Amino acid sequence: MKQLHTFDEVFDSQKVFRHLLEAMANPGRRCDIRSQSEKLFGDDPDMLAVAMTLLDAGVSFCAPQNPALTEQIVLLTHAKSVPLEQADYVFLSAQDQLPGMLASAKRGTLENPHTSATLIVKVPEGQAGEQVLLSGPGVDGLAAAVVPSDVKQAVALRDRQDYEYPQGIDFIFLLPESELLCIPRLVRMEEC
Amino acid sequence: MMDKYNYAFLDEGSKREIRRSVLKAVAIPGYQVPFGSRELPIGRGWGTGGIQLTLSLIGPEDTLKVIDQGSDESVNAVNIKKFVKMCTGVPCTTRTQEATIIQTRHRIPEVPMTNGQILVLQVPLPEPLRIVEPQEAVTKKMHAESDYAPIWLQLYESLIKYGKVTISAEYPCLVEDRYIMNPSPIPKFDNSKLHDAECLYLFGAGREKKIYAIPPHTKVVSLAFDDVPFEKESFRGKKCRLCGSTDTYLDEIFDSATGERYYQCSDTSYCKEVRSK
Ligand SMILES: [Zn+2]
Repeated sequence: MKQLHTFDEVFDSQKVFRHLLEAMANPGRRCDIRSQSEKLFGDDPDMLAVAMTLLDAGVSFCAPQNPALTEQIVLLTHAKSVPLEQADYVFLSAQDQLPGMLASAKRGTLENPHTSATLIVKVPEGQAGEQVLLSGPGVDGLAAAVVPSDVKQAVALRDRQDYEYPQGIDFIFLLPESELLCIPRLVRMEEC
Repeated sequence: MMDKYNYAFLDEGSKREIRRSVLKAVAIPGYQVPFGSRELPIGRGWGTGGIQLTLSLIGPEDTLKVIDQGSDESVNAVNIKKFVKMCTGVPCTTRTQEATIIQTRHRIPEVPMTNGQILVLQVPLPEPLRIVEPQEAVTKKMHAESDYAPIWLQLYESLIKYGKVTISAEYPCLVEDRYIMNPSPIPKFDNSKLHDAECLYLFGAGREKKIYAIPPHTKVVSLAFDDVPFEKESFRGKKCRLCGSTDTYLDEIFDSATGERYYQCSDTSYCKEVRSK
């Protein structure tokens, strides 16, 4: 099946990147990428928008158990599809994959912590919002936020990995309504 | 805008690589992320790390301010503005409050920056440990192991010898209790603006191919000893001869004709604004 998209490699990528940067620098903030991602096709336009913005032949990715998304990302970005343990970017469309994935995703090294994986996690619709407290760089003191339960659970799972900072992984969550929410490795999430 | 160039000059692959490094830099505050620096048609000396950052960030909705040593009108600042304008068409401003991206060398503006703003700092020598260790492989290992004793020793020796720490610019900071970072050649006066800020700081070193960042609300502490606290430049008893400010960073100017010494704001657009009020 042939599909065409109208996502502009120059201008839409730039906009999505600035939303990613705002979300990464202000953890817990929701940044809307709908006007860019709606220019892409398929079941995962938000994932594709992030892939189009960050991926190319210079990096690798893994979209476990999602051959359709894998095929689209390879086609659009020329990034290499590799096993999870080697992937620079991991695209997860189902939360139940997370426990296994976290254990084997790259955490970087103490000398080169930037070689860790970035996890892009799709959060399904209809989840109850949970009150949490965020702290760490990018967050003003201890800040209350409401996040979908998957986000809370994912961060709790991450914390169980006991990464030795600066090793770790950074999360980009894709919420319904095409919103980005980032939780980088130093940011903590507590029960309210 | 010139059509024969890509938008924002850099090819999309170069921008993507820089953007990936920027996100990593934000996630690991103070850590120097390597990137593949590109050649740019910009005079040497100014360095290209900051410009490459700006070109990778900028889009049609941005407003740009460029300053060099506090001045919007210096030859370097004007040339960079012209270059970025030529390949993007974005509007430029001298007012800190109006800019979404501010590219700078040697100063942080006097007007406090807000959460939507990004300050891009040009860095000639990003490695704060270079003064104690010449080899990159060794300084990388020192950062990995938080082995910062040699730089503390250097500060201590300067304290013993001169009664105070003698570093005037590029005064090292500890970021989030983990990484020692070079704040770029800003005066000590500006170091405190890095701590718990509203804006995002991005640092680019072109020749050394490094990018690092301080996100908003990050803990940034200038290195000091318990009994000898960090001290920034003091202009006590002095004021700007143009606007009368007593709370800004002042440049000392020596008039060789009259033998007179006077002071004026290093941040020229701030000085102008105070005068116009
Ligand atoms: Zn003045």
